[in-house]
Amino acid sequence: MLFPTLEFGLFFLIVFTVSWALRWVPISRKFFLVAASYFFYGWWDWRFTGLLFFTTVVNYLTGLALGQSERQGLRKFIVGVSVAINLSVLGFFKYYGFFLTSLDELLTSVGLHRDLPFMEVILPVGISFFTFQGISYVVDVYRRQIAPERSLLDVMLFISFFPQLVAGPIVRAADFIPQLHKTPRLTREHLSVGVVLILTGLFKKMVIANYLATNLVDPVFFDPTAASGLDLLTGIYGYAVQIYCDFSGYSDIAIGVAALLGYRFLENFAQPYRASSLQDFWRRWHISLSTWLRDYLYIPLGGNRGSTGKTYRNLFLTMFLGGIWHGAAWTFVIWGTLHGAMLGLERFLRQTLHSFAPEETEAGGLLTFLGNGAQHIVGVIWTFHFVCFAWIFFRADSFMTAINYLQGLGDWSGPRQYATPFLVGLIVLTMFFQFTPRHLGRWVAQGVKLLPSPVLGLLLGGGLWLIWAMAPEGVAPFIYFQF
Amino acid sequence: MLDLLEELEGGMSEGWEAASKDELQGAEQTRRAVSRFTRAMWLVVVLLMFFNSGQLVTYVNGFEVGPVQDTVVAMSKTWNEQMEKNGLHEPFLEVRDFMTRLQSMNWQEVGAGVEAAQRSEGAEMLRGMLYERKG
Repeated sequence: MLFPTLEFGLFFLIVFTVSWALRWVPISRKFFLVAASYFFYGWWDWRFTGLLFFTTVVNYLTGLALGQSERQGLRKFIVGVSVAINLSVLGFFKYYGFFLTSLDELLTSVGLHRDLPFMEVILPVGISFFTFQGISYVVDVYRRQIAPERSLLDVMLFISFFPQLVAGPIVRAADFIPQLHKTPRLTREHLSVGVVLILTGLFKKMVIANYLATNLVDPVFFDPTAASGLDLLTGIYGYAVQIYCDFSGYSDIAIGVAALLGYRFLENFAQPYRASSLQDFWRRWHISLSTWLRDYLYIPLGGNRGSTGKTYRNLFLTMFLGGIWHGAAWTFVIWGTLHGAMLGLERFLRQTLHSFAPEETEAGGLLTFLGNGAQHIVGVIWTFHFVCFAWIFFRADSFMTAINYLQGLGDWSGPRQYATPFLVGLIVLTMFFQFTPRHLGRWVAQGVKLLPSPVLGLLLGGGLWLIWAMAPEGVAPFIYFQF
Repeated sequence: MLDLLEELEGGMSEGWEAASKDELQGAEQTRRAVSRFTRAMWLVVVLLMFFNSGQLVTYVNGFEVGPVQDTVVAMSKTWNEQMEKNGLHEPFLEVRDFMTRLQSMNWQEVGAGVEAAQRSEGAEMLRGMLYERKG
């Protein structure tokens, strides 16, 4: 069930009405929300609801076992087994085919071809997201950052809550489970934030991302050799905007829907293309994943506590594994490697420059101000273009397509086919909103808060109608569903 | 924007008496917000039923064959025909046409548009100067 469809609209109408009618009986409300979430998940393939339940029970029992045991060695063993089970499930569904294909190619290339046990493994939607949420729960209990949850229903709702189930944001137990212990509340703030986020998310996805995908990105990436250099350049800017609008649009809708049900998720995107360094970019892009990787991978690997060499290794490994998390393909490996290597290089350069010219603590004059401003602008332009360069590998269906794309960027002799004013306008419009004041959405939400219900209905209905009328025909799936 | 929700949580008072009042207030606030949004949602349903009835037909056409489904499909089609007859689908078509025109626009047309705008701006400025002189 996709968010921008009539069936989701009906589903949400029922869930909103029934869940708030049940607010006086919290257990019934939670039970209903779990049932609704499993129904939502089962809409794709009901067989995978069993997998979702299995991983939830494993994590729940691990939490209880960790709560019972005091010996550090035993605790470490329990959490290790649980993380191994979670990763095995993820590994089987996500990487089995990739691993066997790569092994088959390797064996064939050295003349040792064997018949390998290939299977058609269907990737359960959202498996990477709910697996990461499960791991974060057991690791937080192991670290004693949260108490083990005694109610299976609460753990089930935490892992399966439908707004974030299939494409994030990756919600932390420490943020979400305490909300389940309180009486659910809905205020004007929840309504205004929810309405603003749902409308902006739908606009980003249905209008901007869908037009760019169908009219620009898909054709140029299908056969980069048939497009001119200008079209390819526009295509990669278009993809940078498309993936941002697609994924942040989904996150906005998810956060908005959760707000209307009385729950608060954390921000997942914060104008990422205004970042002035790659480190800054990762603080703004898919924040729930980057903080997850920091807390459950980078820090356990040693973070920056060890030697300089180990810090670079940890940084690289974190981004490399983050790349593989996105999918079982060499293009994702290259994408992660590029980001990992550049983060390391950026850190090295920053430290080297700092040793030559330490930061001044006193306020500088006009020259310092202009120098810092110019440095910031160059940083923004460089970071955006590096990210765009890496997106080529992320989007290309094979390594050869990416190479063809890069080669084509150097040839500007062909005719311009795809870089139309409309598509360029969509790119410029999105980039403009990357540089507007951070609290623009907040101001709009504060205005919406004051509206009486008929006007709120007109705004929501009119907004939905307009988005539907402006959007191209059909509903394309969200990019992050495949991860 | 999400700090709007945070402020609310941070604003809750402590102590059993105050908490009890707070709970009562919270319950009343929730009741009002739920009925406010329920009214808004029904208005959305009505608006979309009238002005986007074509989408309803697309949706019900995906139903499987069966006596109930066939009735729903027939009713939706009739409803859509009525809306079309009364011209309620026209704003939707206008927006679609506008989007199609935007998509098919080329750089020459954009350039011509900009030039025309500049010319009219220049003429307006000139007129302004003349008016000023007259005055």
